[in-house]
Amino acid sequence: MKTIIRLTINGESYETAVDPNRTLLQFLREDLGLTGAKHGCGLGDCGACTVLLNGKPVNSCLVLAVQTNEGEVLTIEGLAENGKLHPLQQSFVDKGAIQCGFCTPGMILSAKALLDLNPKPSEQDIRTAISGNLCRCTGYQKIVEAVQDAAETITSTEVS
Amino acid sequence: MLLPTFQYHEPSTLEETLHLLSEHGGNARVLAGGTDLLVRMKLKIDKPSHVISISKVPGMDSIIPRENHSVTVGAGCTAATLAASEKLMDRFLPLASAASRLGAPMIRNRATIGGNIMNARPAADLPPACMVLNATAKLKSSAGEREVPINEFFKGPGESIAESNELLVSLNMETPPPWSGGSYIKLGSRKTLEISMVNVATLLTLAAADGPIVDVRIALGAVAATPVRAYAAEEMLIGQFPSEAIFHEAGQIGVGLCSPITDHRGTMEYRCMMIEVLIKRSLGQAFERAQSWKP
Amino acid sequence: MSEFQVLNTRAARLDAPAKATGQAKYADDLQFPGMLYAAILQSPVPHARIVHIDTSKARKLPGVKSVVTAKEAGLMKYGVSPARYDETLFAHDKVRYVGDEIAAVAGINQAVAQEALDLIKVDYEELPAVYDMFEAMKEGAPQIHDAFPGNLNAEVHQEFGNVEEAFAGCDLIVDHTFLNKRQDAAFIEPHSCVAIFDLNGRLTLHTSTQVPHYVMRTVAMVLQIPVGNVRVVKPYVGGGFGPKCEATPLEMSCSLLAKITGRPVKMTYSREQVFLHSRARHQFFAEMSLGVMNDGTMVALKNKAVLDGGAYTSFGIATVYYSGSLLGGLYKLKAMKYDGYRAYTNKPACGAQRGHGGVAHRAAFEQLIDMTAEKLNLDPIEMRLRNVMVTGEMTVNELDMSSLGMKECIEAVQTGSDWNNKKGKLPKGKGIGMACGFFVSGAGYPIYRSDTYHSTVVIKISEDGGTVHVLTGSAEIGQGSDTTMAMIAAETLGVPLDKVKVTSGDTDLSVDLGAYSSRQTLMTGHATKDAAEDVRKQIVKYLAKEMGCDPDSISFKNGLVLFDGGPADFSKIRTMYLKEHRGWTGLPDADHLTFTEAARLAYLESGTIVGTGKYKPPRLGGSYKGAAVGTSPAYGCSAQIVEVTVDMETGEITVDNMTDAHDCGLAINRTQVEGQMQGSLSMGLGECLFEEVKFDSRGRIVNASLGEYKIPTALDMPNVKTILVESHEPNGPYGAKEVGEGAIMPTIPAILNAVYNATGVRINELPVSSERLYVAINQAKERAE
Repeated sequence: MKTIIRLTINGESYETAVDPNRTLLQFLREDLGLTGAKHGCGLGDCGACTVLLNGKPVNSCLVLAVQTNEGEVLTIEGLAENGKLHPLQQSFVDKGAIQCGFCTPGMILSAKALLDLNPKPSEQDIRTAISGNLCRCTGYQKIVEAVQDAAETITSTEVS
Repeated sequence: MLLPTFQYHEPSTLEETLHLLSEHGGNARVLAGGTDLLVRMKLKIDKPSHVISISKVPGMDSIIPRENHSVTVGAGCTAATLAASEKLMDRFLPLASAASRLGAPMIRNRATIGGNIMNARPAADLPPACMVLNATAKLKSSAGEREVPINEFFKGPGESIAESNELLVSLNMETPPPWSGGSYIKLGSRKTLEISMVNVATLLTLAAADGPIVDVRIALGAVAATPVRAYAAEEMLIGQFPSEAIFHEAGQIGVGLCSPITDHRGTMEYRCMMIEVLIKRSLGQAFERAQSWKP
Repeated sequence: MSEFQVLNTRAARLDAPAKATGQAKYADDLQFPGMLYAAILQSPVPHARIVHIDTSKARKLPGVKSVVTAKEAGLMKYGVSPARYDETLFAHDKVRYVGDEIAAVAGINQAVAQEALDLIKVDYEELPAVYDMFEAMKEGAPQIHDAFPGNLNAEVHQEFGNVEEAFAGCDLIVDHTFLNKRQDAAFIEPHSCVAIFDLNGRLTLHTSTQVPHYVMRTVAMVLQIPVGNVRVVKPYVGGGFGPKCEATPLEMSCSLLAKITGRPVKMTYSREQVFLHSRARHQFFAEMSLGVMNDGTMVALKNKAVLDGGAYTSFGIATVYYSGSLLGGLYKLKAMKYDGYRAYTNKPACGAQRGHGGVAHRAAFEQLIDMTAEKLNLDPIEMRLRNVMVTGEMTVNELDMSSLGMKECIEAVQTGSDWNNKKGKLPKGKGIGMACGFFVSGAGYPIYRSDTYHSTVVIKISEDGGTVHVLTGSAEIGQGSDTTMAMIAAETLGVPLDKVKVTSGDTDLSVDLGAYSSRQTLMTGHATKDAAEDVRKQIVKYLAKEMGCDPDSISFKNGLVLFDGGPADFSKIRTMYLKEHRGWTGLPDADHLTFTEAARLAYLESGTIVGTGKYKPPRLGGSYKGAAVGTSPAYGCSAQIVEVTVDMETGEITVDNMTDAHDCGLAINRTQVEGQMQGSLSMGLGECLFEEVKFDSRGRIVNASLGEYKIPTALDMPNVKTILVESHEPNGPYGAKEVGEGAIMPTIPAILNAVYNATGVRINELPVSSERLYVAINQAKERAE
């Protein structure tokens, strides 16, 4: 039996009926066409499906859509504003942190959750924050550099 | 990776939850973080016809200090909450530390202490920590409630003394006395995203900074069908002055109390050797922290 | 100052904004009206005769639109190398591994498709199975393919020079054996595709592949459709690393089901199916002897390989050749002997993975060099420097090192890692080790025998003259080839990079063999440069005519046209352009004629400006059997130094520092070259320390997940000090060559040599788990006592 849920996704309100066995990932990708969150393993092992649920990174393949009722979801599609890249996105572009790009949406959202809590993270903080987001292409180094770069951009913009 | 169909319940009170559990019992599973249950359902290992979410039950996810003598941890607290809790880091370090090593950040944001205990996996991170902190589990059902020492909770892989109509509500842990220190060490192959090959939690209490050991507890995971307390090693240590040699001896005794298996993560022989090494190391860490205990 | 305007910079990737915002579409992101979902039934048993398949119940399930087995698909044999076509789309007589494909269904949603699979009844008559490559080659072992007695899929025997004579003259001979484990490429995007048949009988296949061209040919052959009626379109691809280098049952099933149902059909492998499909790195057993003189001069190498191929051939023929041919290089040898054997076993087929065929044997050889150096009391770096080949030399097996900055790489890491102050001076438990390696810049020959061009490229200039559009069938799979081609086109045409756009990965656009054997920078790069030069020539021809000047006096730079290096009097052309654009704003007023003006007017003169380019390598290599494998127009090479800390009580290894120098010829994009180096080292680290696909006693994979098959996380991989060594490659476009695979070659042996330095224990089996190292350390202790 479908259940009605109300939630906010990328700042927009949604009210919709979902089957209880539908994951948040299926709901976003298949029902709403928000395909930025990727399906990499379905078991919470790879982090490609990471979205922010109430500000915290979660594996959306291991969250039921019904569990997000009254919640707030941010996907990668909600990060850029009016066509302007978020500083994290810009740094990922500039620093060469993106290769195949399949881990990128999850990686950026994990990094965002980190910077929201900890604006000046150490390298170890960054590596720990993205340790659930597997990347097979980059060796992580340029991703870490991009997060450091974005942290500096965000901090310096807030000061000025 | 599709989930099978099931009936979903989202009770908003404890009473309603307990009622649903008594009604559906063995056909129902409690959904907390979902990081274990949903995986098992996707893999068709678990096929409940009813899934009862406890996310809307109030009060399940708080850490409540009881004066200075104990702390009550709601079963719905996530690993991330436990790992970030200053209270726990200060006085209940094995638990905060074990929580910080569970899975990876996204898993820690969802996985709960209740789930980690109730699933009763032999390699789980939090049970050994709870065991050395002498936690008691509060189980409720529509028929009543009971408090069970966590050291008597686990019965086998996936099996515990909890009945199918019972909900784990909270865990209560006594604050360790002055001059106590704790430790949690996990051995896996990667630095994170690991299921333990062996894990060990210890809590050690000194009479004074330079005094003998007055109390010590050692618990291990992934070394038997359930998490194991190394009571014989503890008995040997009590009354002695801490040293590398007796910590090593404790490790040797510890090995004899375990019965690890060989699987694709590691052999029985290697696990045995690591039990010895990790007990020694964990006691060393706990001792250092006990020495530097601050009121 | 660089002589280049665009090349050799750190330009951002063209696709990065789309990927950073989630706009980039991968195969599983595609949706089409009326789309069906497919699923494949795979064998649960490792080896069995198929007695009967009953699909009647599945066909009756509401929502099921088609069920296909070998009966519908036919028995057309396919594979990678025409010499060993040994697969059919669906198993018909028997299944040969857990995962062998038996049937496929298409239904209105995934749940229906999955449910239908459960309703297909297959009766098996189980046969004895064999999982170990040595057991498989023994007499009396279960036979997997009737045509290959003894389960011997392929064997290679090569000798260059007289090996016995050479060994007889050596002062010292050192032996070594080495065993790696079956790997999975563990790209984060599982295989996925959508197949669409239109009403004209044409197939469009959107698929996550490295090789649209080969997929097109294989699908056409298996489904009996003319090649011209198959269009393969590659959306963004979430990593490949080798196993996405061949047509899959997923692609062929969806194509067949789309043909039958007339509706778009989609399928995505589960992570477990990615492991079952495999086609990743083989397990190799290496047995080697190196003969040297007392001064460290290498003389002769004997190398034997045994490969566990799994149930089918896949890339295996090339693999078993590569394990031999890629040891011919880097060091001067007088003689080399190679014997290779590839065995069939009842496990998923192995294929190509980053550093194809070369990684395990390079690891064995580079350990062997360290072992030899130790016996001769030579520093490992000195030992290598005494033997290393230089530009212009030919290997003993006739591979032409047309550029080779190997010595420069070794010296760069020696300095970069502070080797001289660390080697021999570290405390117990800490170690430093080095190794070298090299790899092809594109296979010298296509996989099927043909005189085909390896790459053709079309460049079209937009009608306004403002945009350069590169059209290519090459495959951007994350390595950055689109950006590379854009940079080459921009440089050649003298326009800024933002004037260039690239459409790629579509077999309708051009011929390109795809992203494998590290070939696209060199080969597609050549064709891109050639096409850009064609465009340039057409515009120059127009300008020379209008200006009445020598075509050779005209050049393009930063989007401007120069005549003899200066602006010249181009007022006649500017006037024509301004007249043509009366009423427009933003008209050119620069004191130079612009590329846009010139290209627009050239179009007005002669129609759409289209340039074409092409490339195929010259005839390469010797004339002995198998001489083609290992040939390439150029070779990239690499030296690495790794520092480790070993926990002597538990055997745990932490890799603290890595220093890598790679000779990639001219670095087209410096940031992307570093990215390939860092990524290669990360994969090598995983393979060395953690990665192993494991099976139970019934041939089932026990760790077919990214939780239990362990690739490095951000906490396992250290930062890499990356050093670019840029030799000039005469056979590469602008002197460029490979970086994507050569960089993984030294990683495993460098770690192993560092572990030896830290512990005194020589590990000859991967992965070096904490347990394996712990046991080895203790055995060494016991031996010492």
